[in-house]
Amino acid sequence: MTTGQGHEGTTGRTGAADRGDAATGRSRREFLRAGGGIVAAGALPPVLSGCSGGSGDGLRIVGVTDQQQPVEELLKLYRRSRPAESFTTSFAPTEQMQTVVRTQLAGGNAPDVHAVYPGSGSAMSMVELARAGLLTDLSTQPWTANIPAAFGTAYRYEGRTYLYSAGSCLIGAIYNKKVFARAGVEPPSTWTELLEVCTRLRARGVVPIALGAQTPWVTQLISYALVPNAVYAHNARFDDDMAAGRTSFRDSGWADALGRYQELQRKGFFNDNPNGTTFEQQTAMVATGKAAMAVQVSAVLGVFREATESPEDLAMFPFPGGDDPARLWIPAGIVVGLGVSVRAERDPRAADFIAFLGKQENIDRWASAVFAIPFRRDASTAVDPVLEPFLPIVDTGRAVPFMDQRWPNAEVQPAHFAAVQDLLSGETDVRGALGQMDDAYRRAS
Amino acid sequence: MSRSLPQPEEIEPEGVRPGKPGPEARTVKTPPTVPIPPPRPARTRPGRDLTAPPWGFVVPALLVYAVVVLYPSLAGVAYAFTDWSGIGDASFVGLANFRALLDDRRTLDSVVNTLLLTVAVVVVQNVVGLLLALGVDTGIRSRSLLRVVFFAPAVVSPVMVAFLWKYVYNPEPTAGLNGLLGAVGLGALRQDWLGDPSLALWSVAAMVVWQYAGYSMVIFLAGLQGVPPELHEAAKIDGAGTWQRFRYVTWPMLAPALTVNLMLSTIGGLKLFDQVYAATNGGPGTASETLSTALFKEAFVYGKFGYSTAVALVLALFVAAVSLVQLRFLRAREVTA
Repeated sequence: MTTGQGHEGTTGRTGAADRGDAATGRSRREFLRAGGGIVAAGALPPVLSGCSGGSGDGLRIVGVTDQQQPVEELLKLYRRSRPAESFTTSFAPTEQMQTVVRTQLAGGNAPDVHAVYPGSGSAMSMVELARAGLLTDLSTQPWTANIPAAFGTAYRYEGRTYLYSAGSCLIGAIYNKKVFARAGVEPPSTWTELLEVCTRLRARGVVPIALGAQTPWVTQLISYALVPNAVYAHNARFDDDMAAGRTSFRDSGWADALGRYQELQRKGFFNDNPNGTTFEQQTAMVATGKAAMAVQVSAVLGVFREATESPEDLAMFPFPGGDDPARLWIPAGIVVGLGVSVRAERDPRAADFIAFLGKQENIDRWASAVFAIPFRRDASTAVDPVLEPFLPIVDTGRAVPFMDQRWPNAEVQPAHFAAVQDLLSGETDVRGALGQMDDAYRRAS
Repeated sequence: MSRSLPQPEEIEPEGVRPGKPGPEARTVKTPPTVPIPPPRPARTRPGRDLTAPPWGFVVPALLVYAVVVLYPSLAGVAYAFTDWSGIGDASFVGLANFRALLDDRRTLDSVVNTLLLTVAVVVVQNVVGLLLALGVDTGIRSRSLLRVVFFAPAVVSPVMVAFLWKYVYNPEPTAGLNGLLGAVGLGALRQDWLGDPSLALWSVAAMVVWQYAGYSMVIFLAGLQGVPPELHEAAKIDGAGTWQRFRYVTWPMLAPALTVNLMLSTIGGLKLFDQVYAATNGGPGTASETLSTALFKEAFVYGKFGYSTAVALVLALFVAAVSLVQLRFLRAREVTA
């Protein structure tokens, strides 16, 4: 019965539509026209806003998850004096942000303010975007005058400043003080001491160094911790030499650094199966005391603290890549910052917000939120006590930017990730691993 | 308007021809049968097909499809011949991207991985799917529940499945699959499932099979339920055993379901992205890199959109070619009841 009704009903509607329904007074053509109008009316505003280059009512800010806390905190302060203005913010992990924002940049619909990575070496790096003419020149803002000359390449392209970033975060060893105390060891200050400490920890049944190399970005941290001593302590102009083709990864101190990375594994100082272990598992191992330390970037100290029952148990020390504590070099990379899209060049709100972030107290707030050292410190600057062991090294100029911040294209970093994983699984040796990186470096950017 | 329906008594039994009544025809009483419905009147008149109602309603969807799918796809073909980085201007580079593809060890390795993964997934997923279908096509009381349970993973997001299986593949000896192996006395089989380059690809394949075997099962089940029981009964009377009935009755009748399953799993295998990206990111090293993850990285990580679209174009043509060959081969061996 239902089928019959349905069949008849369909036939009836067809007929009515063909000749115009007397009851409704609408033909099918009119119905479709009306429907199309509604659809077009709904679709038009977003299409127009996408094409016009306007930013709508609010300032759109898109960042990476690492920036969420400082941006939200500072935006709240900023809005106190501008309660009528509206803002939209969204945050995502690096790869998602990169995919979306690059697509928006290509489509001419980029957010007004968005995450930008310092220097070169990433698809969302300052150099890459500035070279394509997609960033607004911030050079006229007062805070740019305080950027230390040593960090110039991270912030500037062809003499103009395109990046706002609060300062540098550090790579070192996040360690569990209770585990160290139970094993009767102190944070080491030389490579030899590090090996002794690891030996004693291992003898106590503790994993000396947790390594979550299944998460690609974690693979690079031990290399980065060792390369400053192995490379830059001997040749501070290594990046220039690489760019000029005068040296290569394979023929440089990088070979010593990866050799030491391999030595740590060969001696059994990592957890079993580091290539199958994730960052989250690495964090849990240190936080629960199953492992004694992890070589990590200071920005994730908060994550480690959240994972432990007593956050004060965790601290950091500079990871010793050499045997002379007075000549210890460490990595200190400029943290991911913000840039202003050229679409927002004429929008005073975007530049005004960046100028607000550039005030010393706000640089301090941002740096504090991500466990970074502000690029300029004054009497009012309070650095987290956990970073104090690093300050003498930074202040004496023995800190070098993260290695990828001067790499010429976005392929070297993933090549490094893959090379380290291959090295850890025994698929390649140091020369093979560095050969992969040299090949990626020489590819056209 | 309606023509009179034939009465049950008027229907001749099958096999009995008019004018040559067999001895049984005179004695058999035809059972009452379901009345044959009258044929539906033609819904459209010749010459009015293009203006008939369905076309009018499809136009908005076709427009959206053209804008969202067709135009970007065709534009992608054009990008394949440029050096576009994803932002800024693009220059025409002719066939340079395709030549680079042939010299790119990284991409060629990912082709090999993709083929290995596809073969593994297609074979195992369909074997498991068929076994599950045969299992739940029996008269066991829990068959409805089992069908739901086996099919359930297919509706879960592939990324969620990958994250779930990362816990299953935890390398710790007491966690996940390793813990289970240890608990049942098979501790010697414990592995670093996703961290060992020789295992990572197969671990991903197992994850995919787990997710989609139930999907294959549903298609096989539909095929199994289309096999007329009379054929099985006839085969039984002829003395065929279980295996012979499967081999000579069920299996040939499953050919259309097999065609669909092989096509879907092959295309799915060649395009596999989500599970690999979320579980291993192509690693360790490049041990589980597939063509899809490689082209994603070329575009969004390395900023080589032109080259990436060239790889995508080759992948699309490859999938189309494999599908066509497979379809022709499989259709040729299909039989119907």
